[in-house]
Amino acid sequence: MIANRSEAHVAVFFCRQLDPEQDANRRSLEKELGSGIRFFPMPCSGRIEALHLLKALETGARKVYLITCPQGACRYGQGNVRARKRLDYAKSLIREIGLSDDCFEMIVAQGPLPLSIGDLARELLGRTADEPDSSKEKQAGTNPAAYLAK
Amino acid sequence: MITAERKPFAEIKASIAPYKRILVVGCGTCVAECAAGGEKEVALLASQLRLDADHEGRTVDIKEITLDRQCVYEFIDQLFPLVDEYDAILSLGCGAGVQAVAEVLPKIHIVPALNTTGISETREQGVWLEDCRGCGDCKLDLFADVCPITRCAKGLFNGPCGGSKGGHCEVDPDAPCAWHLIVTRLEETGRLKSMDEIQPPANWARAQGKGPRKCVREDQKTS
Repeated sequence: MIANRSEAHVAVFFCRQLDPEQDANRRSLEKELGSGIRFFPMPCSGRIEALHLLKALETGARKVYLITCPQGACRYGQGNVRARKRLDYAKSLIREIGLSDDCFEMIVAQGPLPLSIGDLARELLGRTADEPDSSKEKQAGTNPAAYLAK
Repeated sequence: MITAERKPFAEIKASIAPYKRILVVGCGTCVAECAAGGEKEVALLASQLRLDADHEGRTVDIKEITLDRQCVYEFIDQLFPLVDEYDAILSLGCGAGVQAVAEVLPKIHIVPALNTTGISETREQGVWLEDCRGCGDCKLDLFADVCPITRCAKGLFNGPCGGSKGGHCEVDPDAPCAWHLIVTRLEETGRLKSMDEIQPPANWARAQGKGPRKCVREDQKTS
């Protein structure tokens, strides 16, 4: 069985170029929701690897978000394009073992930057709470976002 | 370098089905370069195996290790302290790596997780092109450094076949015609006249006619 599970049910990987105040904004949400959510700021979403996403699942996350800059807004040019490819690869690995790939979701930030990563994460959690459970979530018996919304 | 691709997960899973304690062994040389069997790929496969076992409510004990080279005994020795604790080794080495590990560790099942695909060059990031079959009788000098055995779908020594279209192969329109490349390079290097010569067939006796080939260098041997 998988060891060292954390309490985190939602993992959020995000490009920190989205929010210069990400440190304060994410910490306030982490404080509010406790260990049920974990944020992973990255210098660019293009640094994501399929392994990061799988490891998030392994350590207990039931939903993993990857938040990138809007199309054409990556300061390094192709970061969000590469992020999409890596996420698709991770999804293919998950499908290979018979799990639903809904557990990984890429969110392309919309509108003017900067934004508040805390507000965006709150919006995502609210949206996820309304979605039906994925097969893995059903097994676990709880929708993580619903759990967090309590 | 040697290139390889990971086998489908279902095939790997079926191969290791009888075992609960699995040592996943990568190779940090060729197959790491082609993103098939290096440290990162070992971690990904191990993660998949753990998630799959967890999904099915099974217990597995998986350890990851990546050797610098899986085809050199001195590196394989690193497995000695670990091997007794595991039921099987899942190797992400090329065919040579798998067989070398099996030679050194004869009492444990070595399961290949990769399909070795050839000797290739890195054409661009994420693209590897096979360009050598290891025939043992290299004639690249005659063919403007483009191997017709590997890169011509028909393996012609006296081409072109006449079927190429727009510089692309009629067998695989995505691949450039090897003979188009050969003629272009001969022309650019002022050697087009060599096309007049008829090349004899390849000497396949130097390939695999007598079983596995062996390279021996007496000056490198210690005994």
